[in-house]
Amino acid sequence: MNINKSILTISDLDNVKKKFKEDSEKYDRTLLFCAGSGCVSSNCEEVKDALIVELEKAGLTSSIKLCLTGCIGICEVGPRMTVQPDGVFYCKLKPEDMKKVVREHLLNNKIVEELCYKDRITGEIIPQMKNIPFFKGQNKKVLRDCGMISYRSMDEFIYHDGYYALAKALNSFNPKRVIEEIKKSGLRGRGGGGFPTGVKWALAAKTPSDQKYIVCNADEGDPGAFMDRSLLEGNPHAIIEGMAIGGYAIGADQGYVYVRAEYPLAIEGLEIAIENARDRNILGKNIFNSGFDFDIEIRIGAGAFVCGEETALINSVEGCRGEPNQKPPYPSDEGIFKKPTIINNVETLGNIPVIIREGANKYLCVGTEKSSGTKVFSLTGDIKNTGLLEVPMGITLGEIIFDIGGGIPNGKRFKVAQTGGPSGGCLTKEQLNTPMDYDSLIELGAIMGSGGLISMDEDTCMVDMAKFFMEFIQDESCGKCVPCRLGTKRMLEILERITKGEGKEGDVELLVELANTIKDTALCGLGQTAPNPVLSTIKYFREEYDEHIRDKYCRGGVCSELFISPCENACPANVNVPGYLALIAEGRIKDAYNLIRQENPFPAVCGRVCTHPCEGKCRRGQTDEAIAISALKRYVADEMFKNNEPFVDLVFPKKNKKIGIIGAGISGLTCGYYLARLGYDVTVYEAKPVPGGVLVYGIPEYRLPKEILNKEIDTIKQVGVNIITDVEVGKDILFDDLRTSYDAIYIATGAQFSREIGLEGENLPGVYHGLDLLKDINLGKDVDVSGVVAVIGGGSTAFDAARVAIRKGAKEVHVIYRRTSKDMPADQSEIIEAVEEGVIIHELLRPVALKGKECVNKVKCIKMELSGFDSDGRKKPLDIPDSEYEMDVDHIIIAVSQYSDLPFINKEEVEATQMGTIVVDKDTQMTSMAGVFAGGDAVRGSDVVITAIADGKKAASSMDKHLGGDGVLNKGEHIDIPQNYNDSEIMEHKRFEMAYLDADERKDNFEEVCLGFHRLNAIAESMRCLRCDRKL
Amino acid sequence: MAKVYEKNRCKEMTESEKYALLDDVIRDYDKKESNLIQILHIGQVIFGCLPLEVQIFIAERMDLPLSKVSGVVTFYSYFSLEPKGDYIISVCLGTACYVRGGKQIMEKLKELLCIDVGETTGDMKFTLEVVRCMGACGLAPAIRINDKVYKRVNPNKLKQILDQYK
Repeated sequence: MNINKSILTISDLDNVKKKFKEDSEKYDRTLLFCAGSGCVSSNCEEVKDALIVELEKAGLTSSIKLCLTGCIGICEVGPRMTVQPDGVFYCKLKPEDMKKVVREHLLNNKIVEELCYKDRITGEIIPQMKNIPFFKGQNKKVLRDCGMISYRSMDEFIYHDGYYALAKALNSFNPKRVIEEIKKSGLRGRGGGGFPTGVKWALAAKTPSDQKYIVCNADEGDPGAFMDRSLLEGNPHAIIEGMAIGGYAIGADQGYVYVRAEYPLAIEGLEIAIENARDRNILGKNIFNSGFDFDIEIRIGAGAFVCGEETALINSVEGCRGEPNQKPPYPSDEGIFKKPTIINNVETLGNIPVIIREGANKYLCVGTEKSSGTKVFSLTGDIKNTGLLEVPMGITLGEIIFDIGGGIPNGKRFKVAQTGGPSGGCLTKEQLNTPMDYDSLIELGAIMGSGGLISMDEDTCMVDMAKFFMEFIQDESCGKCVPCRLGTKRMLEILERITKGEGKEGDVELLVELANTIKDTALCGLGQTAPNPVLSTIKYFREEYDEHIRDKYCRGGVCSELFISPCENACPANVNVPGYLALIAEGRIKDAYNLIRQENPFPAVCGRVCTHPCEGKCRRGQTDEAIAISALKRYVADEMFKNNEPFVDLVFPKKNKKIGIIGAGISGLTCGYYLARLGYDVTVYEAKPVPGGVLVYGIPEYRLPKEILNKEIDTIKQVGVNIITDVEVGKDILFDDLRTSYDAIYIATGAQFSREIGLEGENLPGVYHGLDLLKDINLGKDVDVSGVVAVIGGGSTAFDAARVAIRKGAKEVHVIYRRTSKDMPADQSEIIEAVEEGVIIHELLRPVALKGKECVNKVKCIKMELSGFDSDGRKKPLDIPDSEYEMDVDHIIIAVSQYSDLPFINKEEVEATQMGTIVVDKDTQMTSMAGVFAGGDAVRGSDVVITAIADGKKAASSMDKHLGGDGVLNKGEHIDIPQNYNDSEIMEHKRFEMAYLDADERKDNFEEVCLGFHRLNAIAESMRCLRCDRKL
Repeated sequence: MAKVYEKNRCKEMTESEKYALLDDVIRDYDKKESNLIQILHIGQVIFGCLPLEVQIFIAERMDLPLSKVSGVVTFYSYFSLEPKGDYIISVCLGTACYVRGGKQIMEKLKELLCIDVGETTGDMKFTLEVVRCMGACGLAPAIRINDKVYKRVNPNKLKQILDQYK
């Protein structure tokens, strides 16, 4: 067929369809090969060349059609290819893979599974495209053909019903009817404004003029948004059709597509499409014999974000500086060359043919009442499945992030989703159940924006994000009006000061004042919305701003002027991690030990049981694997203990002031250690026979041997701390007496009482509470946990109890938890070790009642499923009705929560919470009783070792200040940190390994499971440190 | 319309050949003021940049005040008054790339090349620029060196990438 034959009627379109079908039938298969910008940058050219070579070799060039398409959306796994009609989806392709695909699949009909999509979470291989979760959740209307048809074939476009809508509009409707249909559909502008498109068109239609224009705004400048680019690359004819219909509706015979210069592939595709359309009379004179003339010209931008704003865009089309103008007059009255102009976003225009083709009524079936249809989102940032997706309006944020997006990679937690780019705001984890539609988002103070949806994880600093957007605005501000030009500059300066640690009280209030002024007085949308990210982050993350200003602390570990390194910043005790790693690398173990002990007097303990938040922020984790910071701390301490070298910590001269500490747990001992070194006389009262608190009574021997703990407690005694055991305050000695005998008191009694969970049958014999069980075991009492044991809970105590039960000879040990494993508070390594030892984990199960007569013999459970989101960002477990069943058990261990109690203190005198924890001043750790301080689990409830240590240190400093000192702790001699920075290329290497006891070797005894580092592995592991403490 | 001129082909031309080519382009566009930006794009491809002499030439040919042409050249970030290096490294600092470590990449490049943003290395090989989103967000962090886009760039592997251009 002559490709230039004009198309003038619907039957001409039908003929093109027929011919295309006939031509396609001579092919056995079609290969849809992605040539969108994303895949191009993933080297799809090389893959394509290899494919062509293989097809030639196999003699398949005339029976297999190779079709280059635009973006299908799932950029994360490109280069990709779909094999039709099989529907098989191959991804992450390399040139060498083509041989296999051609030989096995195309010649022998065998799917090459290793090249198919693999589910990130389950590992399941999913060959069929329609079954891939990323696509299943979507509803593709605008992007229906994008990525599924050749991106340069007008015939294929027509075959998929292209230009039928234009024919219908021109032949069956008059312009007014077209506008009515668009109004009825409820289509709202997809560029961000959300203004009803039909209403906008009506405004231009009724303005009389000899010349009108319709413009497609393809200046997609929002960073993070690439919806429009994909549509323009993958299906440019859809835009031509939408513009032609729009031109007809408003009475414009000339259209412009204003494309940003950063999109060369899109420009190329559009040029070819326009040329083809002109050749076949879809553009030009008397289209479809209707008397309607229409043509389109491309205008390339030149790198100005502000040109996305209507009036600036108009100026740019006219060849001028892209500065905005005052509105009114609105473009629909006076636009390009002062003629009525309608400017529509690419996606909006992409919806037009859909609406005309299927009718407004059908269109209204998708979406919500006030936000009909679908929205294309570009989901990027910290998310597993980055890419483009089209979903019905009203879908929740959580569904997009977790179900389609696959959640956050690298085990991080979701923090915020940013919508609307530099004009938008953030949606927090409390808002995961928000439906994504125009009005719901406006209610929350955010906007839909163009569809850029950036997911950010817990390692994000919200102040830094606000600064980032303000930097962008300053770069892109055209400079015409004072509020934007100067106002945003001042805001940026304040934000820069805050992130550098130079923030002042009142800065946040000043930012808000500036923001509101700029919003009210800026000339155009860029300036008016520029303060939004700042206002939004202040609204939801005010604490982060305050922390930067008052405490000079960046919790995200981003603002590097505020800390030594991300690991040190994440450590509640601020141990100089890169410092001690560098010392280990040089073999200076004693110096490493002393450097650690400047901030943390318990390296041997922490090296075994710390939750290591430092490793979560280790930058090496972005390359291969985080450094084993905690284990290296253990190595250092163990080496020092082996050497048995006597040493003495520096102690200041006596002050002749006395400190009383209640509780010889880790918090009390830490506080005592630092105060003794400052010269105070410290006495610690411990109710139990031995000191150590939960470290000796709660944590089992196989995780923390008593011998090690005692050696470390000896180092505390060595600086003069006096520990008195078997003395319970309130019984053996009165609290009031302590208050009179000591100058200051620190209460660190922990949270040692197991919380009852109100379960029916909780008090039956055979039911233990986790902490009590562990205490009894550690005291050497005989404990019966034989037979089938079920542990309820998912934290460290639950797993310790479970593994202790294994060692005590239980036949079967089950752990019952109401959420999934990955939501368990216990460390992943504990869970893995428990499973190795034979513990059976039941996820999504909740105990309802414990049954039995003389003792417990059954636990009734109900199954749970995850749906919707809790306010902490985790999926909410809900009972599945009628799914109860009973499990036979011999013993039950409940390890759900702990609380503290202070029977010795008069409840009226010291402020406590309902949970029994003591209320203290956040900055001084002092209780409502003067001179009485508190910290650790007694204040926090059930928390971890390192925060208890941090509390003890902070309290020591406060108590010194309270008693007339300067609060500066005695940390001993300065230690020089080696500056041995290695600038060579990073060689990837996962962690060097430690030795462990085999599961079989350790299941029936309490020998320490982890055997620590061999010296050479320790040195090698410490050399993997990237020395993020290096400052230029 | 916007024909893309081969940058390398233009490099070989003499000054007068370049001006002649630009003259043709202006005439192709009917000397219309509204086509100024498109003409400037092509002018920059031909000359490598848009110094004052070229601006004067364009202003004369299109019968526009020089201030008008200068105003447009200095407004848009794509247009440069100074010659750029052979390889223009554009580091994307759009939101997605920023979140995925774009800042570290920029710092590392500054260190490796010993230049700041907007500057060119002494041997005129590399120019370092910021681009605010190339649309490769799905593969952040991204940089572009001339026409080639590198995705999921690791700051520790930048030296290897630059070595390819030496």
